[in-house]
Amino acid sequence: VQEKEELIEEWQPEPLVPSVPKDHPALNYNIVSGPPTHTVTVNGKKCINFASFNFLGLLDNEKVKSAAQASLKKYGVGTCGPRGFYGTFDVHLELEERLAEFMRTEEAIIYSYGFATIASAIPAYSKRGDIVFVDEAACFAIQKGLQASRSSIKLFKHNDMADLERLLKEQETEDQKNPRKARVTRRFIVVEGLYMNTGDVCPLPELIKLKYKYKVRIFLEESLSFGVLGERGRGITEHFGINIDDIDLISANMENSLASIGGFCCGRSFIIDHQRLSGQGYCFSASLPPLLAAAAIEALNIMEDNPDIFQTLRAKCERIHKALQG
Amino acid sequence: MERPERSATALSAQPRANGCSGAGHSTLRNGYVRGLPASDTQINHVVHNGGLYKRPFNEAFEETPMLVAVLTYVGYGVLTLFGYLRDFMRQWKIEKCQNATEREEQKDFVPLYQDFENFYNRNLYMRIRDSWNRPICSVPGAKVDMMERVSHDYNWTFTYTGRVIKDIINMGSYNYLGFAQKAGTCQEAAAKVLSQYGAGVCSTRQEMGNLDKHEELEKLVARFLGVESAMAYGMGFATNSMNIPALVGKGCLILSDELNHASLVLGARLSGATIRIFKHNNMQSLEKLLKDAIVYGQPRTRRPWKKILILVEGIYSMEGSIVRLPEVIALKKKYKSYLYLDEAHSIGALGPSGRGVVEYFGLSPEDVDVMMGTFTKSFGAAGGYIGGKKELIDYLRTYSHSAVYATSLSPPVVEQIITSMKCIMGEDGTTVGKARVQQLAENTRYFRRRLKEMGFIIYGNEDSPVVPLMLYMPAKIGAFGREMLKRNIGVVVVGFPATPIIESRARFCLSAAHTKEMLDTALKEINEVGDLLQLKYSRHRLVPLLDRPFDETTYEETED
Repeated sequence: VQEKEELIEEWQPEPLVPSVPKDHPALNYNIVSGPPTHTVTVNGKKCINFASFNFLGLLDNEKVKSAAQASLKKYGVGTCGPRGFYGTFDVHLELEERLAEFMRTEEAIIYSYGFATIASAIPAYSKRGDIVFVDEAACFAIQKGLQASRSSIKLFKHNDMADLERLLKEQETEDQKNPRKARVTRRFIVVEGLYMNTGDVCPLPELIKLKYKYKVRIFLEESLSFGVLGERGRGITEHFGINIDDIDLISANMENSLASIGGFCCGRSFIIDHQRLSGQGYCFSASLPPLLAAAAIEALNIMEDNPDIFQTLRAKCERIHKALQG
Repeated sequence: MERPERSATALSAQPRANGCSGAGHSTLRNGYVRGLPASDTQINHVVHNGGLYKRPFNEAFEETPMLVAVLTYVGYGVLTLFGYLRDFMRQWKIEKCQNATEREEQKDFVPLYQDFENFYNRNLYMRIRDSWNRPICSVPGAKVDMMERVSHDYNWTFTYTGRVIKDIINMGSYNYLGFAQKAGTCQEAAAKVLSQYGAGVCSTRQEMGNLDKHEELEKLVARFLGVESAMAYGMGFATNSMNIPALVGKGCLILSDELNHASLVLGARLSGATIRIFKHNNMQSLEKLLKDAIVYGQPRTRRPWKKILILVEGIYSMEGSIVRLPEVIALKKKYKSYLYLDEAHSIGALGPSGRGVVEYFGLSPEDVDVMMGTFTKSFGAAGGYIGGKKELIDYLRTYSHSAVYATSLSPPVVEQIITSMKCIMGEDGTTVGKARVQQLAENTRYFRRRLKEMGFIIYGNEDSPVVPLMLYMPAKIGAFGREMLKRNIGVVVVGFPATPIIESRARFCLSAAHTKEMLDTALKEINEVGDLLQLKYSRHRLVPLLDRPFDETTYEETED
């Protein structure tokens, strides 16, 4: 016992956090005064904003703001509860229906934070022992979702379908050695529509072919491509003309084109309904404030009524790319 | 019976870190009492706990009556049998299967869900599904309007009749200080900010998302809590799951309470540290784990741990218990570990001026290394915060996953938090905040006392505004929810898997917005339903928490 007391006396832990040098570049944030729209005042200087994800310019749209004001007058700000316990408002149900209708799927489910959407969706389906093939350049939220799921991860080179096929073939030979285990191991491919880290688009038609050949399910993360790609902004499935039922789950966040906060997943009811009981960010967290849901509904209205904004956006993108590439 | 004089002398002879006397009485440890009248209780607590507790700490978890436990198991057994029968009938197509099914083209893929995983879902949860996810269509204040929905196929699908049930007394929303309002100073301020800034932010904190409003909010939060500095995040759940990995990593040890929230568990898992679990609110268990950890070191290599982090919550939302903070801090100082306190439910709800569980116990906020909380419950907004020393917050500003990859708070929500916090602190020039905090404390004491007198089994601490009322049997879960709704009172019922399988309960969340008349109405109805469903199980025999056996090797280690 005397020894134990001595050990306890002697032990010294590390400091809780290492000290950060005063001139660390990320320490002092730029302070933005006023709304972060297309012209923004950063640290007192007026600048043109090329840093926000405000793709459709809906951040300071008057109709969106007035819809949010009306909702604020009716519901107040917070929801004071998770979805299961008196936190489900009629605006949430309406937003889910509108999103499902817009994306032409059966059902949609809303999360209150964009990051939590894909990070809760992946562990709801993929558990320990399942296999996930994911692109190297996947965004951080996907990485956290994969880490939380405890499945085995296989990375393939960015947008390289030959590499992915090689991995799938290897997995097939493994399966033949142990068919009993293979019958219960679920397989998923997780890709993004428009990659945050590289700015490329994923080759979806080839992925669909691989899906049916090797019997793998596809989870598509469309945070950046929702409201950007496709003739009417429905994302990469519309861009390539693919039947949306071929993708098992589409997840996106509403913080980019829809200029609100939160995220959603859409797909068939068979898949989406499962998240209502096993999505951690859905069951254990308060629901989206109604004013943000109302803002998203109004933004969706604008997207449906003015389909030419997507053409305008694309034309501007092409101009900038051509000018920068020389 | 207890003899106060004896325990006092034993205490003065041998004070221990957690204030517990070495007397070895099975009935008087850490302030638990067995069936003593109220007046004696006060004296025992103050003398016995050696000055660590400045006020009586009355927490009780009455034991489940034997007959009730047996009947509950029988109930679940019957349900399971029927579940197997129905599955059998569904498989042989005698009964129509109403589950959504896989696509035709994908029928030869590996099945997405295993049949057994969903057994509970299909056969037990579906029967009482109408108690949850109830849609409302008004502000979630003390009274709420609910959309009526009916099901014609035993809860597989719901249809909305279009009618709205008005003025249901809301005992389910986390509206502790009544800031869920649709008119008033908070709402007006939020409306002004909304028209100026818009609803979204479209950028992360380290890029264009750091508005001047966020800086203002963080300074205010730091002042409110009494810490050096604070940082705010967009979602309470994400605050835990993204910041615990930034603080600890491989080679560190996390000691987490048995009943911690899913966000703390997820954050601990994502960090990669070793996790050990101590029994709920049990300081002996925690001390043993700390001793063993320092003496024996890491499991295989025996190297010393880099750091030890203790994860506790202020108020546990399913039990209604309050953490034994003075003892935890004493242990933390003795064994040189760090404390992470999650005040999701206790901020604003405890303490004479609403500053949370630290103020409730009269302690200094400097003793808690990381004070975390959420704005969803008492402030009527959304989001979370972390407060602490300046080095900690500076480190989190650079390394937190949330700051780098996730969007910051929306401006009108920030304004709501600022206004409501100023109101609680009294800085807006009125005493509305203080009045609300006091009203909540009065409501809590009154409600708990009346329920105990009626004969229900209530768990938890006397001062916690979360009141779990035990139901035990599975059928009573659904029946209680529906009967209360018929009488225009909305309650929350919880069963497995949020609680242990035989301890299903109904949970009331009190609010400063509840007037005495509303509480009296609710109590009258609860009394009626209690008689109708035979819920008055209490035999007034309270059990000290420490008598629950905990075995020596009770920790589970997870190393991912």
